[in-house]
Amino acid sequence: MTAVLVIEDDDRIRLALLLALEEEGYTAQGAATAEEGLRQQKEHPADNVLVDLMLPGLDGYECIRRMRRDDDVPIVVVSARDDTHDIVAALEAGADDYLVKPVAVKELTARLRALRRRGRARTTPVTAQVFGDLEISEEAGEVRKAGQPVPVTRTEFRLLCELADHAGRVLSRQQLLSRVWGYETGDERLVDVHVGRLRQKIEDDPANPRHLVTLRGLGYKLQR
Amino acid sequence: MTRLGLRARVTAAFAVGALLLAASMALFSYDLTRRSLLEERERTAVRVAYFDAAVVRSGLDTDEPDVVEVLRSLDTGSGRRPLLQINESFHARAAEVVGDDPVPESLRRMVRGGEPAVQRVRLNGQPTLVVGIPISATISYYELTSLREVEDTFQVVALTLTAVAIMVAGSGAALGWYATRHSVRPLTAVADAAERIAAGDVTTRLDPTTDPDLTRLSSSFNHMVDQLARRIERDRRFAADVSHELRSPLQTLAAAASVLTRRREHQDERTATAAGLVVDEVARFQRLVDDLIELARTEQPAQRQSVDVAALARESCRARDLPENLVHLAPGTPARWQVERRRVEQILRNLLDNAVRYGGGPVAVRLSAAGDGVGVVEVDDAGPGVPPADREVIFDRFVRGRAAHARAGTDGTGLGLALVAEHAAAHGGRARAENRPGGGASFRVELPGSLS
Repeated sequence: MTAVLVIEDDDRIRLALLLALEEEGYTAQGAATAEEGLRQQKEHPADNVLVDLMLPGLDGYECIRRMRRDDDVPIVVVSARDDTHDIVAALEAGADDYLVKPVAVKELTARLRALRRRGRARTTPVTAQVFGDLEISEEAGEVRKAGQPVPVTRTEFRLLCELADHAGRVLSRQQLLSRVWGYETGDERLVDVHVGRLRQKIEDDPANPRHLVTLRGLGYKLQR
Repeated sequence: MTRLGLRARVTAAFAVGALLLAASMALFSYDLTRRSLLEERERTAVRVAYFDAAVVRSGLDTDEPDVVEVLRSLDTGSGRRPLLQINESFHARAAEVVGDDPVPESLRRMVRGGEPAVQRVRLNGQPTLVVGIPISATISYYELTSLREVEDTFQVVALTLTAVAIMVAGSGAALGWYATRHSVRPLTAVADAAERIAAGDVTTRLDPTTDPDLTRLSSSFNHMVDQLARRIERDRRFAADVSHELRSPLQTLAAAASVLTRRREHQDERTATAAGLVVDEVARFQRLVDDLIELARTEQPAQRQSVDVAALARESCRARDLPENLVHLAPGTPARWQVERRRVEQILRNLLDNAVRYGGGPVAVRLSAAGDGVGVVEVDDAGPGVPPADREVIFDRFVRGRAAHARAGTDGTGLGLALVAEHAAAHGGRARAENRPGGGASFRVELPGSLS
């Protein structure tokens, strides 16, 4: 059974989400504040976290940031806000996806399933791929830079593997959305912010990336 | 009577003002010139007359004087005519015709009284100066000097001054026209700005001017536009705010509705029917709120990027379980367009939904190019078509065509085609509904600037 933590200050929304998720076969627990959510996640780590942005006390952004310090659990924001500013800020804080209320439960569970995947089914096992000082080991689920392990979230890792599989070739934002997030069509900001986050971790100079480069109007590619 | 324009009135005022000024100047100078010329002429005439009178007196100072001979001996040229009055009779040079009464009575009396006198008269229609000098108690000498030359001079002067006055008036009019062009220029700027605002660009402002006379105009105009923009923004925000506020309760409803759906088999028939209604209406409510929020957002211009519209159209069909081969890309039309992806996706989605709901299903999605880089999206359906009276209004908000009314209980929001029109407008284009020759409707969306 997959465990989901719902951090939401609106009692009715939280209750309805817990009921609906349990109905879908999840083990769901709720938290009314960010502090409580962080404590619960530390004590009983869930497999997925849903978080609202408007929370009393610590807000959703800070909650995501703190949780990200030592946890690579997929975090999905469920918020009534839909400004680009809010979406980008939440993704930059470390969220894996962003859903605007009201979200259909079917859509929500589809997102959760997509984010929980780790790696993809392969016929031929691949050894570690090397890009200069960057080493991606899909089997070990590990990224090393100059020999040192780089902490990446599951979503960042899948994004990196997808790009590594097509090394030297361009993948459009829509292709990446479909392969990494499972969206048939979706918000391209998701890709852009995740690429930015990855660059912070794997590039010497994130402003002038050497490995993960942008091709204007086309997409991204990973190169040596 | 139509009122004259500001410029015409100011120009006329300048012209009249200049004319009055020039005319009074001209009259004054004419009068001054005339007076000084006449005085000069009079002095000369009197001096000459005294001299001639002295000659006549000495000529008459004989025993038997020949009056005609004496008068003839005077060197008068053609401009002067001597007259001698002895007792009551006048004597002139024989050749000359003297009028009936060349010398006015008043003058004669004065001279007879022993006083020299001068008077201007009109003699045979000619302006003439008459100088009278008493020679003795019974003899008076008169000299008639023609003022014709002087009059001619006056005429030339008057003509010149009139011409000058007219020219000055014309210059005044030109100056007025020129001056108003400058003073009316700020009004032209205001008119241009107002036109742009009326066209929907509420960011238009007048340049703040350094001219103290115009600061008030530009600042109050800009203030007005600020107020207007704020009010428009407030109205627009209201719909968006209401929709946003509805999102949280809708989230509860959506989650609770999904539980009801899941538990359908545990419910009795009546409960299941009621639960089904709740679930369906929550879904419709959700679509309505999404569309309202989207509509509030459409005010912004399209953010174009390179989008594979053909792939997007196929994807949109696939998502609705429609065959992908509905999509036809016209030969020679590139698949990638410069458009905003989200908007074009909604255009396709809403047109396809519209065709499915009211048009008996889409029969073709055609992508083609019109002249000047206009990308054209057309969705044809197999429905009854759109009556001509409805072709404009179906793109209005919350308006459903007759076909939609005929199918009561539909799950549309009444905003789908309004959004299509708004998204087209955001690209500088428009949406139209037509009937196809073979029956059925064709919705056509033009997106200028999509194809370079």
